[in-house]
Amino acid sequence: MANFRALQAANKRKTFGLLFFMGLLVWLIAYVAISSFGGTGAGVIPLAVGISLISVWGSYYASDKLVLKMTRAKVIQESDNPKLFNLVNEVCIASGLPMPKVAIVDDPAPNAFATGRDPNHALIAFTTGLLDVMDRDELQGVVAHEMSHVANRDTLVSAIAATTAGIVALISDILMRMLWFGGSRNRDHNGNQMPIFLAIIPLILAPLAATLLKAAISRKREALADATAVSFTRNPAGLRAALEVLARDNTVVQARSSAVAHMYIESPLDASAASKLFATHPPIQERIETLRRMEANPSQ
Amino acid sequence: MDASLLIIIAVGLFVVYAVVQYNRLVRLNVQVDEAFAQIEVQLKRRADLIPNLVETVKGYASHEREALEKVVQARAASTTASTLPAIAAADGALTNALRGLLAVAEAYPDLKASSNFLQLQEELATTENKVSFSRQFYNETVRTLNTAVKTIPTSFFVGLAKVGAREFYEVDDPAARNAPNVKF
Repeated sequence: MANFRALQAANKRKTFGLLFFMGLLVWLIAYVAISSFGGTGAGVIPLAVGISLISVWGSYYASDKLVLKMTRAKVIQESDNPKLFNLVNEVCIASGLPMPKVAIVDDPAPNAFATGRDPNHALIAFTTGLLDVMDRDELQGVVAHEMSHVANRDTLVSAIAATTAGIVALISDILMRMLWFGGSRNRDHNGNQMPIFLAIIPLILAPLAATLLKAAISRKREALADATAVSFTRNPAGLRAALEVLARDNTVVQARSSAVAHMYIESPLDASAASKLFATHPPIQERIETLRRMEANPSQ
Repeated sequence: MDASLLIIIAVGLFVVYAVVQYNRLVRLNVQVDEAFAQIEVQLKRRADLIPNLVETVKGYASHEREALEKVVQARAASTTASTLPAIAAADGALTNALRGLLAVAEAYPDLKASSNFLQLQEELATTENKVSFSRQFYNETVRTLNTAVKTIPTSFFVGLAKVGAREFYEVDDPAARNAPNVKF
């Protein structure tokens, strides 16, 4: 399974699988809420859905503008960096996507990210450190990886993941607080209700499972973006060399936060801080290996 | 519900279905046209760059007549080609001629260091990539269209949409298929 078409198909399938489990998790927590908290539990659900939808979808819709502020990226014009614009334009031709906005983050750590709610509002950004250390082929690989996020609508996918994870977390949180402060009120009418102590286990585990699923989805989208990038450039060696540069480099982006970590080509957070299960990116060595297999086995 | 109502609903659903399939075929066909127009845009860009390149190389390596001549002739042939196979063949010939000229240029350090050549270098690299990516994108759209033309259910609507399988853009250059990134 070393060609990009098979890898793209496999990663898309896995994303759907993970989103399906995410949906199941929402149903499970809603079931627990209604069956053990009755009417109050049922009332919590629309509240959680509402808050989560508003908070996530607002930032999804304005993602290109918000992210510019959070990462201190500056949008540039073609005259500022003609070579970078050439590279982006090349990948646009290869992918059939419209030209995105291009931004630069003044930061010595090499990294890049893509955002925007749809291909017409896409923004891709590169740190000055990345532009300094990479040659033309490596930069092309990075540009193709970022444009793949645009092509695969990854801002939308992560917004869906964040919304569902948010719903699960909010319901659990509100119900746990109710248990803590007002649990006694429910003891009067426990006719066909699930005992409260049985509800505590899913209330604790569900948000954790949602966080893990969200991270797993992010990892699959990164692997998918690598495969899609190769479908654009047909040059796995360029992206592989770029990832090797990133792997060797141990500086980290300054304006970092876990809120934007999933967007970067390489995780900007300290690798040792997060365990593999919570990581937003697959291990970089694993990505390099996959690209090496594609180099050895070109699909056409 | 009587039988006639059911028939009307069934016919209605079939019409909607047919429209969807018909539109898909027409849309894919238009995408192939657009992708081909993109190739032509990029070929034109490259053709416009060549006189400047030829002048620059002549200034330092005027006696490399053969390599220069090949590029000029290939460019002339590419601007007159009109059918798809002819355009693709001329495109391939020009790519090879350019590669030959740039290989020759390697032997002239003065030329390689000249500001004119350095400026041209990035332009040539990006243009060559754009040409090869536009070919690749075109072939990708043809692949999608041809699959739709030959597979069920879209294949049933081929006659109605007056859309058929299209030709791939094949450049006679084995190196270009495996390594689209030409280094200059």
